[in-house]
Amino acid sequence: MSFKKNHRLRKAYITIVMLLLFLPIFILIAFSFNESKLNVVFTGFTFDWYARLFANADLIDAFKNTILIAVLSTGISTVIGVLSAVGLKKFQFRGHGLIDKLIYIPIVIPEIVLGIALLSVFTLAKLELGFWTVLLAHISFSVPFVITSVRSTLYSLPKHVESAAADLGASRWQIFWHITLPLIWPGIVSGALLAFTLSMDDVVISYFAAGPGTNTLPLYIYANIKTGISPDVNALTSIMLVITVITLTTSAYFQSRKVAARSIS
Amino acid sequence: MSQHNPETAGVSAYSQSKHSRRFDLFKTVFTLPVIIYAILLVLIPLVYIFFLSFLKSDNYGGYLFEFNLENYGEFFDSTYLSIFLKSAGIGLVTTFICLLISYPFAIFLRDLPEKRRNLIMKLVMVPFLTNSLIRTYGLITLLRKNGVINSTLIGAGVISSPLALMYNNVGIITGMVYTLLPFMLMPVCSAVVKVDQNLLDAAEDLGAGKFAKLFKIYLPLTIQGAFNGSLMVFIPAIGYFFIADILGGGKAMIIGNLIKNQFLTARNWPLGAALSIILLLFTFILVRIYRKIGGSLDELGGG
Amino acid sequence: MRERTGLIKKLFFSLAVIVIVALIIAIIIIYQPDNQETSNQRILNVLNWTSYIPDEVINDFENEYNIKVNYGTYSSNEELLAKLTSSREGTYDLVFPSDYMIDLMISRNLLETLDQEKLENKDNLNPIFLKQSYDPDNSYSLPFLLATTVFLYDSNKTGPITSYKDLKKPELENNLVMLDDQRIVIGAMLNACGYDMNDVREDHLEESLEFFNQIKSNIKAFDSDSPKTFFITKEVDAGLVWNAEAILAREENPDLTISYPAEGFALSMDNYAIVKGAKNVDSAYLFIDYLLRSDVAQKIVDEYPYISAIKGVESLPEEELERILANGAYIQNVGADIKRFDKLWAKYK
Repeated sequence: MSFKKNHRLRKAYITIVMLLLFLPIFILIAFSFNESKLNVVFTGFTFDWYARLFANADLIDAFKNTILIAVLSTGISTVIGVLSAVGLKKFQFRGHGLIDKLIYIPIVIPEIVLGIALLSVFTLAKLELGFWTVLLAHISFSVPFVITSVRSTLYSLPKHVESAAADLGASRWQIFWHITLPLIWPGIVSGALLAFTLSMDDVVISYFAAGPGTNTLPLYIYANIKTGISPDVNALTSIMLVITVITLTTSAYFQSRKVAARSIS
Repeated sequence: MSQHNPETAGVSAYSQSKHSRRFDLFKTVFTLPVIIYAILLVLIPLVYIFFLSFLKSDNYGGYLFEFNLENYGEFFDSTYLSIFLKSAGIGLVTTFICLLISYPFAIFLRDLPEKRRNLIMKLVMVPFLTNSLIRTYGLITLLRKNGVINSTLIGAGVISSPLALMYNNVGIITGMVYTLLPFMLMPVCSAVVKVDQNLLDAAEDLGAGKFAKLFKIYLPLTIQGAFNGSLMVFIPAIGYFFIADILGGGKAMIIGNLIKNQFLTARNWPLGAALSIILLLFTFILVRIYRKIGGSLDELGGG
Repeated sequence: MRERTGLIKKLFFSLAVIVIVALIIAIIIIYQPDNQETSNQRILNVLNWTSYIPDEVINDFENEYNIKVNYGTYSSNEELLAKLTSSREGTYDLVFPSDYMIDLMISRNLLETLDQEKLENKDNLNPIFLKQSYDPDNSYSLPFLLATTVFLYDSNKTGPITSYKDLKKPELENNLVMLDDQRIVIGAMLNACGYDMNDVREDHLEESLEFFNQIKSNIKAFDSDSPKTFFITKEVDAGLVWNAEAILAREENPDLTISYPAEGFALSMDNYAIVKGAKNVDSAYLFIDYLLRSDVAQKIVDEYPYISAIKGVESLPEEELERILANGAYIQNVGADIKRFDKLWAKYK
């Protein structure tokens, strides 16, 4: 009896924490259907904001920039990250120890410090603040996450696979391409996903690296949050959320099918 | 910038000694990008703000090349020091609340069947895949004077006048906890799930109660995960100026706002740089402690 | 079987890599960032106060002249100055500094001279706003909108507020919103102590801080961007805000009352000014000339009811405008003492 009660209590706790986590999300979705422009009281149900969303050129621009920067910075930092993780493991070179320490810095330092440091250097180099500086800044904080993610799979690789391939006469390029890369694929994917998520959501570093004419979605929201965000932003975020959830569930579904298929064979 | 050293012998299947004296394309491809990256996008910016922190501001956004320690002296001015202390306080409370939520959550989650456990862990991630600013905005609708929480509580007759839930420290801490909780939940859950069931059974056989189990088994065995989470919560919690801005009403400054203001309103880059360097040193000390207790830097990156 | 899945995996993998690389290359080639001048569309980089020009006005201008306006915002003159000095020359074209900031920017050589001959609609300007002390010949700037600080309060919740001393009232605890602007708030506190807004005497500034500390516990938030929101959502019952914000809030809530601080209040004339090294000077002139049109000025004041510098669109009766101009005062450039205000502001907050 007491065990059961205890059990129910535990389930209740988990449920409450989950509900609390989701509460602001539910509210933001609810207000995307609100007639009133002010996100204060619910006055009536409408789909208007979803239609009007596409007429808001600034918002759509900001959204496009966000996606583009996220895709590019993820792509570039994944390539750099994979090469770096492998290179740092396989090769010794002068300054190896220093580089190995430097790559952790963007993970541990407060974002604001990286943000102002990059802003200072961009200004020093007389770069025009805008799309490219935001992209550079995003690469700067994404690479280390890819490296650490790839590294953890790299170190758990079965030993001797690579040397066996080398003994069989495979070139280094062949070993990397046909052996190492497929084996560290999960690490690459999770690193890239992390980089993508971080890039999509970054406020602090973009805030310093962006110039006129280059807005990202987080910056757009930040600039408008005090004057009041109109519900088309809620609408856009709701759509993005639905896409994210669908992607997650399908990938989970395929993963579970793969696991099932493997267990059958 | 590539620093090839033909003398160092390779260490694995990738090294080919016959190539060692010539230009090694393979090695270059795998080492040059990280060298360029680390130097251009990490080392130079940090060295540059270190250098900046010793210069003098011209009050208008430029700086004069007069080497001095004045900016570091300013830090000990009561105004800035009190902001640092208050900010550290907000960070600590945020971290503590996140720990307090995460431990029971992780321990309860442990007892669930694996499938359900994984599902919940995935669900926990969903809110954090939406924009953190829009979530903060969602919080405003909850916390404001006539917001959902106050009107519900008043409607239910629990309180008679609205609670001050935002534009103060309560608001900032709530916002920080909401934004940073997953960084605590993930390491704590994965550490707690890994604790050996045999140990717990043995403790129970010896008559250990719930709290004895928590303090004698869970906590010591998961300290690394907890510290990992604490770092990933505490460090952003002293720097996320946008949360303090939105939920603190512009009056409660944290270190993040202080540094941002030096750059974006007070036009005193050298002071902002000095404050950043102090913050950076503080962070390095925390990371050092984390390494001392056996924590791995790779795990901090979520790897 | 296993070999085949291995092969498929490899194929899939190579395909994925090719697709990603192709995608990245394609995007780089096709995409041209907004801030680069592309083909024949001209651009204009504007930095202006938050809530100042309606989106509709900007869109109309963009359509009429086929100029893309990149519009950034700031909440205080100090923020504008920081943005200008920290960005590369040529980043911004047109800015809207207030009186004292015009003076400061001229002295720092941050502004281009303004060629009035290029502005067909300059005669629409009301002459009483021209030739002010901060730019005696209007060689760098022309007036746009006049803002004043006012008290706004809910007369159902609190008694009349007409003096800065009224802000100390206990019923206003955690119930006030203040502009987030260092010169304005410090100036107001100096006024409250009986001094000039531009006083820089150390003991007077100290005294203003003491006065401020007495009302500090009443302040719920600092906000210059949209203080009206605090009144519309009934978050606060009183505050020191910009006049247009007060009028807009009163439209939503008729219980709100506007009053002018008895000890003195700030006038803030915001001006068009072209930034030194601006790349799109022609577009900037076109935009200024567009904003000088009477009908456009009317649209602006309809949405943000400040006091327009254009003749015929005054939103106030003539005599009230005269009274405001007589009783209010402009903030003045204090030169290098600006650093003391920066520091004092950190102490205020």
